[in-house]
Amino acid sequence: MVKRKAFVEKKECLACGGCISVCPEDALEWVANKAYVDEEKCIGCQICYKTCPVGAIAMVEEAIA
Amino acid sequence: MKFDVVVIGSGPAGSVTARFAAEGGAKVLMIERRSEIGTPVLCGEGISKKVEEFGVLEGTRWIASSMDGANIYSPDGTCVTMDAEHAGNETGHVIYRDIFDQELAKSAANAGAEIWMDARATGLIKKDGKIVGVQIEQYGEEIEVECDVVVGADGVESKVGRWAGINTTLDPCDLETCAQYTLTGVDVHEGYCDFYLGHEIAPGGYIWVFPKGKDVANVGMGILASLSSPGQVKELLDEFISCHPEIAKGQPVRFLTGAVPVAKPLEELAVDNVVLIGDSARQVDPITGGGLMASIEAGKACGEVIAEAVETGDFSEEFLKSYIDRVGTLYKKLKRNYVVKEIMLDMDDKTFNMLAHSLKDYKFEELSTLSLVSALVKKHPSLLVRLKPLLKVAKM
Repeated sequence: MVKRKAFVEKKECLACGGCISVCPEDALEWVANKAYVDEEKCIGCQICYKTCPVGAIAMVEEAIA
Repeated sequence: MKFDVVVIGSGPAGSVTARFAAEGGAKVLMIERRSEIGTPVLCGEGISKKVEEFGVLEGTRWIASSMDGANIYSPDGTCVTMDAEHAGNETGHVIYRDIFDQELAKSAANAGAEIWMDARATGLIKKDGKIVGVQIEQYGEEIEVECDVVVGADGVESKVGRWAGINTTLDPCDLETCAQYTLTGVDVHEGYCDFYLGHEIAPGGYIWVFPKGKDVANVGMGILASLSSPGQVKELLDEFISCHPEIAKGQPVRFLTGAVPVAKPLEELAVDNVVLIGDSARQVDPITGGGLMASIEAGKACGEVIAEAVETGDFSEEFLKSYIDRVGTLYKKLKRNYVVKEIMLDMDDKTFNMLAHSLKDYKFEELSTLSLVSALVKKHPSLLVRLKPLLKVAKM
């Protein structure tokens, strides 16, 4: 089984906060003024991924046992 | 450390709230997570001239260019011109938002508010179920600040609301995701803000060209997040620019992104000891995405209510949220415009074109939704069905 999590590419994030505002799990927050995903909370719903105006969020596949 | 009030966020909503709370005698701390107030700019930088009536800004350094009106282009290029007074709240002045925010913060400081930079709120402090302060991280240190009122002026991405148990998560169909270049060396319609509508060029949103000077303009786009794919708004904006030679010949001096709530304004925006203001409370015009005027108007009322709360010791949810009753007209307008936004989202490009053809010679001297709709229906009886919901709204 493969689980997907959102991942913010820090260098590409322009800190608009859109992803934080739409996250239904409150899994995103500011760290050093860039958006940051708490992997523990992320459910892989892709809402932040689609919202990002510059495509700075990737959905990273992570194999789980 | 103890203050009466801690304001989280130093945008216009935070600064104006801080100012009026401090002016009313409260001991106020305002914190900002970034190193400079107003930077980076996240804004199209348009505001109504009405802002001057609030007396919160000194001088004119914050004004880049003053507007006479707005041109609205339908998908087939038909132009409807409105003078500034009728074109809504975002077309009076084009501003330097960084200077604007610093001027507002200065006015809060002059009223007695203390300001901390590089200070990020990391949580609320609770004691026996009651919110009694804010946990702040500054220069790697954890600081606990006690207070009676926490103001969440922390923007569209507000955490304060969520910490306090107020659901501020935005549905993607109530969020505009935006990108904007400031371009130099362009030909602009001096004195006019241009708006381009169309679901094909800007799905669920629009493109704006706001002149900041004779050859400089903010050229930006917002699209509805629910209709967006990753990075799409920048791609669509680049495409729009490449199709407009008068803009394409310019060079960028700034690129920015933004997120604008186009939701119903929050009414349940307080709990005991905590209150939300500005973008965090969705106090933004859902049609235009403009939030500066709403933040300033609501911020003044919020600051005044907080000052009264400090005087009487009533920090209850009911009293704190009562500030929105003092800006009832604003709330009515925001709620009405949310309905209009929903209607506009349902209209296809053909309808936009039809509307523009009917309106291009319309004299916008006496603009009301009602008169507008009856003028339209006279010309295009087939529009009646589509515009019926607007008539309902006009009576709201």
